[in-house]
Amino acid sequence: MVLGTYKDAICARATDKSIQKVSQDGGIVTALLSYALDEKIIEGAVVAGPTEEMFKPEPLVALTSDEIISAAGTKYTFSPNVWALKLAVRQYGLEKVGTVAIPCQLMGIRKMQSYPFSTRFLADKIKFVVGIFCMENFPYASLETFINEKMHSSMDMTLKMDIGKGKFWAYTDEEELSIPLKETHGYEQAGCNICKDYTAELSDVSTGSVGAPDGWSTVLSRTENGKSIFDKAVEAGLIETKPMDSVKPGLGILEKLSDGKKTKAVDEIKKRVEMGLPVPF
Amino acid sequence: MSEKIVISPTSRQEGHAELVMEVDDEGIVTKGRYFSITPVRGLEKMVTGKAPETAPVFCQRICGVCPVPHTLASVEAIDDSLDVDLPKSAKLLRELTLSASNLNSHAIHHFLIATDIVPEELFATAVNSVGEIRKTAQYVVDMVAGEGIHPSDVRVGGMARNISELARRKLYTRLKALVPKVNAHVDLILDLVEKKGFPKGLGVVNQPLFASANIYGDRNFFDLDRFTEIMPESWYDDPEVGKRACTTIPLFDGVNVEAGPRARAAKFRGFTEKGVIAQHVSRALEMKTYLSRAIEILDELDTSAPTLADVDFRGTNKLGVGAIEAPRGLDVHLAQVVDGKVGFYSALVPTTWNIPTMGTATEGFHHEWGAHVIRAYDPCLSCATHVMVVDDEDKSVVKDEMVRI
Repeated sequence: MVLGTYKDAICARATDKSIQKVSQDGGIVTALLSYALDEKIIEGAVVAGPTEEMFKPEPLVALTSDEIISAAGTKYTFSPNVWALKLAVRQYGLEKVGTVAIPCQLMGIRKMQSYPFSTRFLADKIKFVVGIFCMENFPYASLETFINEKMHSSMDMTLKMDIGKGKFWAYTDEEELSIPLKETHGYEQAGCNICKDYTAELSDVSTGSVGAPDGWSTVLSRTENGKSIFDKAVEAGLIETKPMDSVKPGLGILEKLSDGKKTKAVDEIKKRVEMGLPVPF
Repeated sequence: MSEKIVISPTSRQEGHAELVMEVDDEGIVTKGRYFSITPVRGLEKMVTGKAPETAPVFCQRICGVCPVPHTLASVEAIDDSLDVDLPKSAKLLRELTLSASNLNSHAIHHFLIATDIVPEELFATAVNSVGEIRKTAQYVVDMVAGEGIHPSDVRVGGMARNISELARRKLYTRLKALVPKVNAHVDLILDLVEKKGFPKGLGVVNQPLFASANIYGDRNFFDLDRFTEIMPESWYDDPEVGKRACTTIPLFDGVNVEAGPRARAAKFRGFTEKGVIAQHVSRALEMKTYLSRAIEILDELDTSAPTLADVDFRGTNKLGVGAIEAPRGLDVHLAQVVDGKVGFYSALVPTTWNIPTMGTATEGFHHEWGAHVIRAYDPCLSCATHVMVVDDEDKSVVKDEMVRI
């Protein structure tokens, strides 16, 4: 159960070129939320929308596919999407909401659905949650440190950030800059070190690059609802797939990373408990 | 030989109150006294010395029956004290919130009087009708003001945010669809009230009408110079009652008044009937007034317009007045912001105005109608209590040590 419960594991990418162009990897989050919106499975989605500052996202209640596409691509800092869920069902008037969340946000969402304190009439309106694989998340100042101080570039020049092959990458028009991933350690949010969830185990569908070839994503369909939406999006031709065992590096690496995050978290939790520090789980 | 009939507490109303009736040999009420025995809330004291934006957040919690009118009265008092000019959309959204909330509240009252007027075979129909109206009305408050019970998005300076165009269209469609349901509900209630056979003239009073506006409320109506407040000891001629009553007696032009749906209908809608039947009829009819205003607002609302004004929270020392027509009458909050903090705060709430009037309204009829007269006013005592019981043994409120808040 190192990847949580799931019904299907598959390698996939969005077929739409306009999504491929802006997406981080396979464009699965964008394709799935757009499909759910077009099929009226959801009326809108809370996504990590762009702001005037590059790579500093802000929750956006997207009511159109264009707005969903505007939020494509990974930002390695926090977008408090859970906060905006209530806004979506209140002033935005949505009764069927979709969202994208990292594992810690999913824990919040599922807990809120179980105990809806101060979230009256919200729990039942969340219809579709896409989770993204997440090893850690950085405060915005950490990203600035990587780009400005360690890579001697600037946020404005950066077109895309990525983590892969043991490195943190920043792409500009002319260069591919990188620093070893171990140089980013200590800059992550403190909570990430006690988080045992790498693959967004509480989502309807979770996705991320690990395990899939470049430009593709690994997709884990977890719930009936999530599998049904994913399968229909494939059937509709919006997503193309390859069997997981036909691609390199494959599910093994995902399992290895997930297991590593769990082991490290357990060690850190033990350490904090011994120091008398509060640990949420 | 006069006898005393005491109903304590009076039932199917919010909070606790007592009705003391002196009756003659035929059981006819010769003297009726109604007073609150609900423990004090004390929120006005709590907000004193705090930041102005705290007042609406605290004061909406005076009671869960009228949280929306209290929020609005509180925020309007602060707005007035800070001399804020509200954006048009904020005014519309606030009025929409109140219209929906009052529609919901009137429906609740029909639930409270159901056992009085609804025959068994119609009981499920009447209660389901109440439920359906409430669901839609509260959905409007949820969406516009953030929360149905304690709205989070009514802010000093306006409203936290406008609603989306999708929300506007949804609410408009749903309220339009609610029109036939509310019409049928009102017809049902009017019919049942008529069939109940309340005696002619029951509950008729001739006190001045204390109503500031047809729907929302108008602070200009509340002239502080015409307002006085006396202690229950000097109002009730029964010392036992005077000692235990938990509300002050507010007077306007030196006399007690009538507030609520009938007062509004008489002053602004040409309604001429008086008494218990008139209270029920005007309350039911007012549901149509609120619904049609809510639809009208949704029709004219510009969802792209700003809803929050710039506010200078330092204050001008001005005594601000917030006057909101709550379901049960005019809810007045007074607030003075001094050096960025609330310096003075007072709430003169709907049922407080009606308390001295309701007791006498029971007079002249058999005491068995007494509770019906009280319920016709839909009293809600929670916010009305303004003095503190100092002796738990005999529940007395000692005059000299009365805590006036």
